[in-house]
This record gives sequence, structure tokens and C-alpha cells, in this order.
Amino acid sequence: MNNTYSSTPASKIRSVSRRFSYAFIGVVTLILILFATAAIIIDSSRINAELEKRLDNALKLSYISLPAPLWNLDNDVVDDFIEALFLDESIVFAEVVWGNQVISKRVRQKFQQKDASYFRQSSQFIDKISNILYEGNKVGTIRLAMSRESVKKELIVTILGIIALTILIIIAIALTSLIITKKYISRPLLKLQESASLIAHGDLNTFIDKSSSDEIGLLAQHLDDMRESIKQLFSELSESKEKIEDYSRTLEQKVEVRTQALARSVEELKALGDVSQVVSSTLDLETVLANIARHAVQLSKTDAGTIYEFDEDAQVFVPRINHGVSEAFIEALHESGLRIGDKTVIGQAALNRAPDQVPDLVNVPDYPLSYVHQAGFRALLAVPLLRKDRLIGGLVVRRKTAGEFPAPVVDLIQTFAAQSVLAIHNARLFREVEEKSRQLEAADKHKSEFLANMSHELRTPLNAILGYTELILDNIYGDIPEKIQEVLERLEQNGRHLLGLINDVLDLSKIEAGQLTLSLSEYSLGELVQTVSASVEALASEKNLELRVNVPADLTIGKGDEQRIAQVLLNLLGNAIKFTEEGDVRVEVVVSNQTFLVSVSDTGLGLSEADQKRIFEEFQQVDGSSTRIKGGTGLGLAIAKRIVEMHGGRIWVESTLGKGSTFWFTLPVSVEHQKESR
Amino acid sequence: MSKLILVVEDQEDNRRILRDLLTNSGYEVIEAVNGLDGVSSAETYRPDLILMDIQLPGIDGYEATRQIKANPDLNKIPIIAVTSYALSGDDQKAFVAGCDDYVTKPFSPRELLAKIRDYLP
Repeated sequence: MNNTYSSTPASKIRSVSRRFSYAFIGVVTLILILFATAAIIIDSSRINAELEKRLDNALKLSYISLPAPLWNLDNDVVDDFIEALFLDESIVFAEVVWGNQVISKRVRQKFQQKDASYFRQSSQFIDKISNILYEGNKVGTIRLAMSRESVKKELIVTILGIIALTILIIIAIALTSLIITKKYISRPLLKLQESASLIAHGDLNTFIDKSSSDEIGLLAQHLDDMRESIKQLFSELSESKEKIEDYSRTLEQKVEVRTQALARSVEELKALGDVSQVVSSTLDLETVLANIARHAVQLSKTDAGTIYEFDEDAQVFVPRINHGVSEAFIEALHESGLRIGDKTVIGQAALNRAPDQVPDLVNVPDYPLSYVHQAGFRALLAVPLLRKDRLIGGLVVRRKTAGEFPAPVVDLIQTFAAQSVLAIHNARLFREVEEKSRQLEAADKHKSEFLANMSHELRTPLNAILGYTELILDNIYGDIPEKIQEVLERLEQNGRHLLGLINDVLDLSKIEAGQLTLSLSEYSLGELVQTVSASVEALASEKNLELRVNVPADLTIGKGDEQRIAQVLLNLLGNAIKFTEEGDVRVEVVVSNQTFLVSVSDTGLGLSEADQKRIFEEFQQVDGSSTRIKGGTGLGLAIAKRIVEMHGGRIWVESTLGKGSTFWFTLPVSVEHQKESR
Repeated sequence: MSKLILVVEDQEDNRRILRDLLTNSGYEVIEAVNGLDGVSSAETYRPDLILMDIQLPGIDGYEATRQIKANPDLNKIPIIAVTSYALSGDDQKAFVAGCDDYVTKPFSPRELLAKIRDYLP
């Protein structure tokens, strides 16, 4: 307990008993004063009345004593009588008058100079006049004045007495009340306060005096009850507190354990993440497996590890990666030639296709690999590496302290084994892919060589056929009959068609093999269009078709493969002439936005929508049957499309069946790099 | 006096076509069947023009052309290469080797004749 409960400083305390005493004394004093005042008032009026009574008595005495002397004119007696009256100290003036004659007069020494009117007017005095009668005849008048002085003195004495008495009473009451309150209220309260303060300070065994049978005793009783209750509460509280502390201790331990487990998991996850990253980013099997072995050993808190690859041909486990063992040990592992079913952990793990462990080599005196124990290892754990039920290797960890490997560690090693499987599998896949791509490359080279050779081999006899035909047609071997000439012309036509086929197939194959490289150089599209148009001019005029060429005179110089572009244009123009029976064929070039836009329009057959879509595919011609008659291979547009695309351009057709077609293609004015086609 | 043309060609038919064409056009023709033969024939006969096939057994047409052009006595003789179509860079290779012109196989005898006449008016 701290000072929060300490009592208020004494100076600030206003004692209950004192306050009670003050209040009590105050009230008593007030009452006493009231009583005293009342007493004084009553007394003073009583004294006044008495004074008047005395004066009346003196007058009555005069009635009795004076008539006769006055009647008798015995003045001496009157004087004596007045003399006698003056024995009363209070009487200050006496006068007996008969008509205007003063018979007797006496004034106290003190008031010698005063006359009757003075006494009559001053409140200090009471004065009375009375006629004195003798047998019914007025014989004189007596005037008496009495001083209140003496009465005043008496009154003061009385008041002083009352005050003194009152004070005495007050003091007595005050003392009594102080003593009583102190004894019966203050002191017990102080004691209770002390006890309460002690309780407040935590002393719950404080003695509380409950002997008193009054309210304070009751209060003490209640305080004691309260103390008991608090004491009980405290004991309950401390019990609960102990329980809570106990609980929190347990909780702390649990949290500690969990935290460790979590930290371990995090570590494992990090390691696995690391391993996965290496597995996915590196195809170098050695690096990957070394990484796996290192993490497996570190996380399983073992001392050494080996990853074996299973050699299916030799049926032995070949240690691929070792961690934490000597060169001699590795050598020994190689020489051991571990096999499936050996009484080693790896042999058993491979046999059962499940993890196998030796908790303590000391208990396995006949373990086949004696050098393992000699190297200081006591506990071994092996996990087979399985890829779709196929054994591809094993992962072994070794520890220098004996003891069973708990399930989490076995799980962990299995996870690493799975990663190893993945890595080995990846590496094998990669080797296969590499091998395949080497084969593919070789095949590709073969193909292009074959194509080159085939083209030459096909062309050589064709060359001879066409050559001879032409020589015969030119009559070099003498004149020939007209009928033969006709046949020879058909022979030549078919030969040229065959040649075209061979050339187109070769082109397309080269494009598909990625062997066709554009030779990019500066060219004039205007000149190119003129040249190509000139070469087909003859064909057009043969069919009575008009060939119109519309090229701006100031056409900018472009960069591209001139020969290939000429090939595209030749193909489009050739087709246009071929499929148009009447009307005209137009070539137009415009340039905008650094792009040439070339169009070849005809007034020929036109194309259906379906044909428009298929026309750029290989071996597609509007009418298959027309191929032979019209010439062409059905490859021309496919090749044209590839060539345009390789330049970064686009080719398309707009056509209405029966009204003709317009083929468009674009070419960037300046082609810096060959693009990929398809 | 008629002009002498050396035809270097390993193919019998092609040689015959050229021979028939050129002889008929009034040229004198000598023939060689491979590159080395071509070079030695050029040295021996000093023809007015050489038609050089490229794909030849032994040394190819390019090499034969280089050897002939390397000989100061022969380097004035025009050599027309007869190349295979569409094998990329063949034309360039021909010029680099020293050929003056080229035609692609299969050639039209008429066109070839026209080209020869450019060199042998």
C-alpha cells in the first residue's frame, strides 16, 4: 500500500468534538444570555415597582402621621416626620406645603440647589404629590421625590451577579462537554481513524476496539467487519493472482515453444524458398544440389549430408553432392557401390520407398559401412528420391549425436528430397531439350542443305529440257513442222511452270526455316514499279489489257530488299493480268506517314469473301482447276505476304465478285531491321 | 575470225545446249568439265569469253574465276557466271570472285545469247 491512503495533515483536521463543543457552548451561551437579560429586565421592573411602593408607603405614612400636626400647625413634628422619611436613603426631596406656604422642606445634600421641578422632570427620579386631609379637609400637600440611584446600584450588582454566574456556568458546561466529547467521541474516533489508516496502509490484522456499546462501537464493529471482508477479499485476490501468475507463466512457456516452432518454420520456409529459387533459376545441377544439401543439413541440425543419384544402368547409388564429410569419406561412399536393399539406410529407404533411419549406430554393430561410425556419426536418416514412382536417388543426413529423428525433421528432409527430385528432373529435362535442339538444329541444317541440293538437282535436268526445247523452237536443229512446234510450246510452258513451282517451294521453305534474309539497301520504288510493269507489259498487251502506272515523280528513296519487293509486285501484277479478260490493270503508289502504299487493281473476276480470307494461304487459288491453265503455283501470294511482313508491312485485298480486285500492301519507307513473319 | 568461248560446265546436257546454241550463232566453243580443267583451258586457249558454272566438282566456279582473274594474262577475259537461282548471295559471291556478269539457271538460251553479244560484239 502506498501513501494514497495516508491521513490528512493534522492542521487541517477540525476535530468533531471541538466543533460539537463550540456549537454546544454557543447555544448554551446564547440561552444563558437570554435568561440573564430576562432576569435583569424582570429584576429592574421589580425594583422600580418596589421603589414606587416605598414611595407610596412613605406617602401612606404621611397620610397617617401628618394630618394632625398640620392641623395643629405643629411644624416641628412635621419636620421630624420628614427627618424620619429621610432615613430612607432613596428619598432625596420632601416638601410639605400649605397653600403657598412651605411648612417643611428637606433636600438631600447632594441636590441642595435643585427645586421641585427638577425632580419632577428628570427620569432619575420618581416624584409624587399627595394632598393631606384632616377629617376631610385639606391641610396641606406633600411632595416626595425618590432617586433611582440606589436602585440602579442594586441593579448593577444584580446584573453583575447574573453575568458572573452565567460565565461560570458556561465555563463549566464547556469544560464538561469538551471532556465528555473528547473521551466518548474524539478519542474513539481517533482510534478508529488510526485503525482505518492502518487498514488503508495494508495492515489487515489491526486490532479495532469494539468494546464501546454506543454508535462509535457500532462503527468500530462495522469497520472491523469491513477489515475482515477486505482481508478475505485480499486473500482471495492473492489466490487469484497466484493462479493468474501461474497461468501466465504457463502461457509464456507455451508462447516460447510456439515462437520457437514458428521461427523454425520461418527458417525452413526461407530455406525452402531459397532452394526453390535456386532450383528454378539455376540449371546447374551441382549448384542446386549443393544448395539443397547445405540447407537440409543446417535445418535438420545434423552434421553431414549426401545426395545420391541412382544409376539405373549400374543399379548403384552415386554420391553426387556431399556436405560436411571428408574427401576420404566421399571416396569410401563411391567405392561402397550402394545398392537397393543394402542394409544401409539408403538401401532400405530405396527398398521400402520410404524414409529410413538409424537412431544410434552403436546399437547396430553390423552396419555395413563401418567408416560412417568411425567418422563420428551416430544417427542416420535417408529419404529416397522418387519421380513418379521411379527411383532417381536418395538424400541422407548424418548426425554426430545419437537419437531418433522426429517426424518434423523427417518431413523436412522429405521436402528437400522433393526439391532434389525436381532439380535432377529439371536438369535431365534440360539435357534432353539441349540434345533435342541439337538434333533439331542438325535436322534443320540437313533440311536446308537438302533443299539447296534438291533445287539444284531438279533444275539441272529442267534446264536441259527447257534449253533443248527452246533450241528446237528456234530451229537450231532445223525447221520443224507446225504441229510439233505447238506441242513443243506446251512442253516449254509446262517446264516453266514446274520451274516456278520449284522456285516458290524453295522460297517458302527458306522463309519457314528462317533462312530467308532480306538484303536491305536503298532503292527507288518508282523505278522498281516501272521495271516490273515493263516486264509484264507484253503479257498485258497480248490480252488487250491496258496497264496504267501511277507513281508520283518525286517519290522518296526507300530502304528494303529491292529484289523481294519486285517479286511481290511481279506476283500481284502477274495475277492481275492473268485473271483479267478485259479492262485494265492499274498500279498506284502513294506515300504517307513514312509508309509506301502500293495498290494493284484489276477489272477481273473478283473474289468472294471466303476467298479473300484464304487467298494468302499456301496453295490457294480462286479456282484450283485454273492453276494449270493460268500458270502459277498458288504459293505466290503466301510468299508475297511473308515478304511484306518481313519488311514490317501489311498486305490485304478488297474485291467484289465479278467487278475486280484491288490488292494493297504497305512498306515502311525505311526498313532498318527484318521483322518476323508469322 | 570467229570468237572463242570457253564453257566450264560439268553437265553433259548443258554443255551440249550451249555448244549447239553458240556454234549455231557463229562462235567457236571449247569445253571444260571441272574447275581445274577450266583454269588450264583458259590458260591454254585464251578464249574471248568464259561461261562459268558455279557448282563444279573439285574447285568450284568461284575459285576457278579467282584463279583466272589472278592471272594478269587472262584477267581481261569476261567471265559470265551461271548460278543457281535463289541461293541467297550467289550473285554477290560471283561478283566478289571476279565475275563480270551472271545468269541464273535455268537460263533462256535466247537471253544468254543476248548477254554474250554485249561482251562480244
